[in-house]
Amino acid sequence: MWRLNKVRHKAGQQGGNLDELRLKRRENERALRQARRDRQLVSKRLLLNEDEEQPDVSMDTAPGGHDIVSLLHKLQHSGTEKEAHLKALSKVLRDPSAQLTFIKHENSMHLLVGLLTGSNAQCRLQAVRCLHELSHSSHTNVAPACLPATPYLLTYLSGPSTKFTELCLYTLGNMCPDSDVVREKLLAQGIIPALASCIENQRHTLAVVEAAAFTLSQLLQARDAPEKIIPIVLKSTLPSHLLSVLTPDPQFGLAPAIECAWCLHYLICSTDDNKELLAQGALSQCSSLLVSLGGAVTEGNKEDGIELLIWPLLRCVGNILSSCPEEDLNAQLTDAHLPASLCALVQAYLHTLPALARETVWVLNNLTAHSTEFCSALLTLNLVPGLIQLLPFSQGINTMILRILANIAHKKKEFCVQLMQLGLLSALCATLKMADQEMVIQSLDILFMMTVSSPVVAEEFVRQDGLSLLEVLQYNGAAEMRQRSTYLLEKHLLSYQQHITVDNMPDP
Amino acid sequence: MDTVEVLQVDRKEAMLQPEALQLRTEGRDEQQERRLSESEDGNNPFSFTPQIIRLHKDHELFEDGDIHRHMYLQDLYISEAEDKPALSVSEFACHISGCSAVFSALEEYEHHYNALHRHVCCSCRRSLPSARLLDIHIQEWHDSLFTILAQKQDMYQCLVEGCGQTFRTNKHRKDHLIRIHKYPPDFRFDKTKKERGRETKRKEQKDAAMEVVDDVCESEGVCEVMCNSPSDEPEGGESMETHECEEKASAEDVLAAAQDTESTAPRKPQYSYRIPNTVCFGHGSVRGFRGRRGRRK
Repeated sequence: MWRLNKVRHKAGQQGGNLDELRLKRRENERALRQARRDRQLVSKRLLLNEDEEQPDVSMDTAPGGHDIVSLLHKLQHSGTEKEAHLKALSKVLRDPSAQLTFIKHENSMHLLVGLLTGSNAQCRLQAVRCLHELSHSSHTNVAPACLPATPYLLTYLSGPSTKFTELCLYTLGNMCPDSDVVREKLLAQGIIPALASCIENQRHTLAVVEAAAFTLSQLLQARDAPEKIIPIVLKSTLPSHLLSVLTPDPQFGLAPAIECAWCLHYLICSTDDNKELLAQGALSQCSSLLVSLGGAVTEGNKEDGIELLIWPLLRCVGNILSSCPEEDLNAQLTDAHLPASLCALVQAYLHTLPALARETVWVLNNLTAHSTEFCSALLTLNLVPGLIQLLPFSQGINTMILRILANIAHKKKEFCVQLMQLGLLSALCATLKMADQEMVIQSLDILFMMTVSSPVVAEEFVRQDGLSLLEVLQYNGAAEMRQRSTYLLEKHLLSYQQHITVDNMPDP
Repeated sequence: MDTVEVLQVDRKEAMLQPEALQLRTEGRDEQQERRLSESEDGNNPFSFTPQIIRLHKDHELFEDGDIHRHMYLQDLYISEAEDKPALSVSEFACHISGCSAVFSALEEYEHHYNALHRHVCCSCRRSLPSARLLDIHIQEWHDSLFTILAQKQDMYQCLVEGCGQTFRTNKHRKDHLIRIHKYPPDFRFDKTKKERGRETKRKEQKDAAMEVVDDVCESEGVCEVMCNSPSDEPEGGESMETHECEEKASAEDVLAAAQDTESTAPRKPQYSYRIPNTVCFGHGSVRGFRGRRGRRK
C-alpha cells in the first residue's frame, strides 16, 4: 500500500506529536477543500529513496544557491564522480528555493538531460531522480523548465528497469497539472500511446501499473481534458487495460486498482456517451468488484484504504448507468447481488464516512430509476426496511432514500401495497413533519402514488391519522406543499374521511 | 432515456433539481395508465418521475471523496478516522401556519402539537390540553342550548375526570375545584367568558365574520356554523350585528350582514397563510356543531 503503513507507523512512533500531526492534517484538508472549490485540486507524488522513511526537507547542510552552482560546476567538470554529485544534487533539489535556483541557472537543464541520456546507467538513474524532485515542486514554472527531458522520459517508459520506469512515470505525472503548455507538448510527444503500451507490457509489474495509472489520472483531471485528452484516451487501448487491472492483487495490495478506478471515474464522468466503455464490460466489472468489496467490508475485512477503491467504483457505476439502456441492464449487470451489496455498504459507512454512504444511495437511485427488476429485488431481498431506517439522516441521504422508495412505488401497484406493509406510511407520517421542505414534498409525492394505487393504502393512511398532517400542510407557506396536500385531500382522501366521520363521530 | 445532467448547486440537500421530463407512455401497467390520466388532469401538482442522475467530476456531492483521494496522494491518509464526521439528523418543524417551532426529535414535535394544536376550539381558536376540556369548553362557551339549560339546571361539570358533580354556576364550580380538588384560583382552563375582555371578543367576532365571507364559497356548512354560534353574552348591539343571520341563512345574507357592520375585509387569496377559524385540525378536535352539520374540507 502506498505509504499507508508508513504513515501509521510514523504516527505511532511520535506519540507526543500526534496533536501536531492532527493539526497539520486538518490544515491540509482545509486547503484541499478550498483548492477544490477553486477547481485547482492538484496533488503530486514523491517517490522516496529506499533508504528514506519519510520526506525530510530539513537537511544536514542548509542548501542554498551556492550549493547548486557549485554542484553544477562539479558535474560539468568532474569525470568519475558524476554519480555522487548527482546524488547530492537530488538531495539538494528537495528544497523549493534550490529548485528555483536550478531552473534559473543557464544550461542546468541541458546538463541534466545530457546525463539522463548518457551511457552511465547509474548516472541516468540519479539524473531522473533529480528531475523527479524538480517535478514535485509546487511552483508552476518549474515543470515547463523540465520539458527538454520529456521525450526521453517517454522513451524510457518501455525500458526494463522497474525503479527507473517508476521514476519517469511519476515525474511525468507530477508535471501534467502544472500548465497547458506542458500537457500539449506531452500529448504531441505521444504520452497516451506510451502509457498504453507501458501498462500493457508491464501488466505484471504492478508498481509500474500503479505509476502509469497515476500519471494518466493526472492528465484526465486537467481542465481541458474533456476536449483535448479524453477523446484520445477513449480511442486508445487504455480503457481495456485499465479494466483488466481493476481487480486488486491480494499480495501487492489495492494501490494499482485504486489508480485505475480513479482513471475510469474521470473518463466516465467526462463524457455523456459511455457506450464504448459499456461494450468493454465496464459496468459489469465495476459492479462485480463492488459486490466483492461490499462482501469483504460486511465481513469485517476492512482493509486499509479500501474506501479509496470503493469510492471511484461507485461513481463509475452510478454515472455509467445513464448510458445503459434499460433493455441491456440485465445483460450488463450480471451480478444480482449488487443491490444487497450497496445496502450493506451504506450501513457499513453511514457513521464513519457519511459522504460515501450518500454516494452509495445515489447509485441505488440510478439502479432503481428505470428498472422494475431492481425495484423488485429491493423488495424481495428485504432491503427496504433498512432503507426506511435511514430516513432520519439528512444532508442528502434521506432525500435520496425517498427517491429510491418513490422509484419503487412508481413501478407497480403491488409494490405500493408491499411498501405499506413494510411500514412506509408511518415513516411518511414522520417525514411529513420534517423541517426540510424537500423531504416534505417528496413524501407527498410518494404518498400520492401510494394512495392512488390502492384503496387499502388510502384507508391505512387515514387510519394512521394522516389526514391531520395533510390539513396542516394546506396552509403552509410553500406553494408546492399547499397544492399537493390540498389535491390529495380533495381528490383522493375525502371519500375515506367520510368513513371515519360516520364511524367515529361521537353523538353530540 | 430519462436522464438529467446535474449542475453544481450550493446546498447539498438541494443538489437534485430535475428539469421537466416527459412521462413514459409505453407502460402497459395499469398503474402507469392511471397515472397518465392523472397527469392529464391540469390541476395535478404531482410531478415525480424516476430519473437517473448524472454527476460531473466537480459536483459538490463528490467533494469528500475527492479530498480523501488527494489526502492519500499527499501521504496524509490515516486509516482510522480520528474525528468521526458528524452524521446529521433531520429536524422536525411544526407546519401550522404561524407556528415556527423546530424540534430535534419527533417526540418533541408530537408533544408540542398535542399541547398546542390538537384540541383547538373551532370557534375561538383556544387551545385546550385535552379532548374532555375541549368538549366542556365548547359546550359552555359556544352552545346556546347550554346557556338556556344552565338557567334552570346544574350544567357546569366539575373539571376533574371522574368527579361527576355538576353546578349551577361557573363560580360554584370554581369554588368546588379550589376547596375539594385543591386547584389554584387562577386555573388557566377555567376562565369565564367575561374575563376575556370585550375588546378581544369583538375583534374575534368580526374576524370570524370576515373569514366566513371568503370561505363560504369553498366549503359547505361554514355559514351555518358561524351563524349558529351562540351569541356569547349579548352585549348591546355588537353580537346582533355580526350574528344577524338565521340558521338557514344563505351566502348572500351573510355577505350582506358582514358588509353592514363595516367595510368588507379585502378578499383573502384561496391559500391564505392564516388558517380560517372554521377549519380545525387534529384528530378529535372536530367537535360539536361542525361535526354534526358540516363536512370537513
